[in-house]
Amino acid sequence: MKRSHIIDMTKPMPLSHLKPGQRATILRVGGHRPVRRRFLEMGLVRGETIFVKRVAPLGDPVEYVVKGYNLSLRRADAGRILVQPIHEEQSG
Amino acid sequence: MADLTIALAGNPNAGKSTIFNALTGLRQHTGNWPGKTVELKAGTRTIDGVSIQFVDLPGTYSLAAYSPDEIVARDFIVKEHPNAVICVMDSTNLERNLYLGVQLLEMGVPMVIALNMVDQALARGIEVDFGQLSRLLGNAPVVPTSASRGEGIDRLLKVTIQTIKDVKEAGNGPAYNCHCEKPAAFQVNYGKEIEAAIGQLSSSAEAQQLPLNGTCSRWLALKLLEGEDDVVEEVSAMPGGLTVIDKAHSEIKRLESIYGDDVDIITADHRYGTVSGISRQVCRQATPDHKTLTERIDRLTTHRLIGLPIFMLIMYLVFRIVIDVSTPYLDWVDSLINGPVASGLSSILMALGASEWLHSLVIDGIVAGVGGILTFVPGLIALFLFLAILEDSGYMARAAFVMDRFMRYIGLHGKSVIPLMLGFGCAVPAVYATRTIANHRNRLLTALLIPFMSCSARLPVYVVFALAFFGTRASTVIWLLYVLGVVFAILIGFIFSRTVLKPDENSAFVLELPPYRRPTMKSLAIHTWDNTREFIKNAGTVILAISIILWFLLNLPWGVTTQEESYFGQVSTAITPALEPAGFGSYETSGALITGLIAKELVVSTLSQVYTGTEVEGVTPTTTEAPSPSFSDQVASIVVGFLQATADAARSLISLIPGVNLLDEEGPIEDTSLSQALQTRFSPLSAFAFLIFVLLYIPCMATIGAIKEEFGGRWAASAAIYQTALAWLAAVLVFQGGRLLGFG
Repeated sequence: MKRSHIIDMTKPMPLSHLKPGQRATILRVGGHRPVRRRFLEMGLVRGETIFVKRVAPLGDPVEYVVKGYNLSLRRADAGRILVQPIHEEQSG
Repeated sequence: MADLTIALAGNPNAGKSTIFNALTGLRQHTGNWPGKTVELKAGTRTIDGVSIQFVDLPGTYSLAAYSPDEIVARDFIVKEHPNAVICVMDSTNLERNLYLGVQLLEMGVPMVIALNMVDQALARGIEVDFGQLSRLLGNAPVVPTSASRGEGIDRLLKVTIQTIKDVKEAGNGPAYNCHCEKPAAFQVNYGKEIEAAIGQLSSSAEAQQLPLNGTCSRWLALKLLEGEDDVVEEVSAMPGGLTVIDKAHSEIKRLESIYGDDVDIITADHRYGTVSGISRQVCRQATPDHKTLTERIDRLTTHRLIGLPIFMLIMYLVFRIVIDVSTPYLDWVDSLINGPVASGLSSILMALGASEWLHSLVIDGIVAGVGGILTFVPGLIALFLFLAILEDSGYMARAAFVMDRFMRYIGLHGKSVIPLMLGFGCAVPAVYATRTIANHRNRLLTALLIPFMSCSARLPVYVVFALAFFGTRASTVIWLLYVLGVVFAILIGFIFSRTVLKPDENSAFVLELPPYRRPTMKSLAIHTWDNTREFIKNAGTVILAISIILWFLLNLPWGVTTQEESYFGQVSTAITPALEPAGFGSYETSGALITGLIAKELVVSTLSQVYTGTEVEGVTPTTTEAPSPSFSDQVASIVVGFLQATADAARSLISLIPGVNLLDEEGPIEDTSLSQALQTRFSPLSAFAFLIFVLLYIPCMATIGAIKEEFGGRWAASAAIYQTALAWLAAVLVFQGGRLLGFG
């Protein structure tokens, strides 16, 4: 059963919209220059796969896995990264 | 001066400190480097008659000069010309670690790669082809290590020394192999357009004969294109530099119109591309990630519901253990110093026929002052040890993750949790620890809030007063003071971030959550020892000097009969009226607060000197020994006392387990001579107001000095003023409010 408010998972979206357990490919990294550069240095580069691990107890930040290591980003910062969700047969 | 200098660079959590410790052992010191007033850890060791200095650079992900740590690391390499750099890389996370390594190679510095944690990588099914890695990085030597097990360290050292020899024999200058005719052994290819611009700029730099002092011209050209402010500034100041800068500006414009993006983003992208390619060629991952131990622990420590309670519990347990377990030892050291040490010194002085005033200076001045402080060493060892465990195990990063949302209320982010928590140890290293925070405004606010975290020097004051006035509830009162400090930090942070220090929209909070690791004994020992030594050194120098000066102030002008007439009394009396409304308007307490400016623990030693150094009416000093016991009796009582303290400590440790309480039958806590003296001067309410004042008032001189060094004199002065005003206000409110409620 589909509900109307479910986000269309076939279209690009900000990283902050993904839920724990979902996987996506990074399309574009936005934000001001120092922020973008910091993202790049931490391995958040175009074409990279990113996995949403968990949300912190107070709802922010969110833990991600990229390039085989774990890092955490605030939702506001993750919103600057545009991703293409990857569809998996069995999510989780 | 050492013959050779070897710098250690690497990502945070790559095991750099462990390798540094393995290379240098306890022969470590902090050194100042010319140019910038930056302290870096260094250790010197002599091998085959050659003295080698190892320098531990701050852990960084990059050398892009965005955070002070990165600038320090980069400047050390550019300006101090180390003979070689050991780049420590985490093999379980090679790609991101290579990003830093590649930047080091681009600087043209001879580099050896310590491929660390190879055992952990293997356990996770990651195999690295060392030979291939070395070839792809222009034959930079690669040495596999496992620092936590001490494997590969000797080979790393040998290979590094050999590399330095090879570079010297090749005659490529002192440290750099690329400021010469032939190109560096390793280069990133930035694509046709950027490469053309680099070529233009480096030949222009050479044509203008810029004084590069061994810096590679290709690197300089790259940094100019990337628009790194400090490099641009430095080149502008060089003769002929402006011509090169002009050229750089036009090249940047050209490149940005081609790519439609900032040059530094494009170069970072290319660099990562190169790094990814290398990583793919040398790493083989056999099995995908299975559930690791880190995964299982994180499920608890970052759990939605119990993550925060776990953080609180860990903090509570640390301070309970520090206070409860160290109290028995505290009594033991106290009886050791006031008993055998004092009486021993006393009889030696008598035997030497020392005059009465010298006797008084040594016993009432030095032993009372320095000894009063040394009693807290056991507690501090415990505190420093626990902070080291939290940091080395990786829990600090989880604390930052869990607390970030909360820290946002006070306009900070999770990373500030770590310096703030270090503030519970000592505010000075905590202020320096803010260097890991990239954003200046966040750094400043964190540093200004650090003094509200009750540092270990304030613990002696709390313990002495709490034990004297609150008996069995002492640890609750102490806990309350720690909490109050945090509450004040939140309040002040909230006000500051909405008035003078508004948040900056341009910074991002990116935090690595490294795998949990078992801290190595060696590293814990070094951390704990470093901090404890610093404290004892302080007690042995500053506090010794203050104790002597104080004794003279108390006894001058010659022939004073009461302390109030002494110089000390006169100065303290002058400020006493101001402290009257807070309930502790006596010249002794104001004097103690003044000496507390030098170091907070001096509050205790001053009071101890003032109250017990001279006879206090109505109090029989407990320290005066019965007919002097024989030496062997004394030794026996020391040993028995230590064993007793250990047993007591063990019992309080076990009693921390819920439902177990071995402490019930314990008799009343025996009063020390100081606590008896305090009880005649303070009421519980005025004692509490005094503790609040000690918690909040102007941080010690060393902290003010650190704030001044990092943020300038204006901020240091305002910190001193607003904190003292706050302390006065809070103490007066507590005392007057308490009296109104009938506690006085």
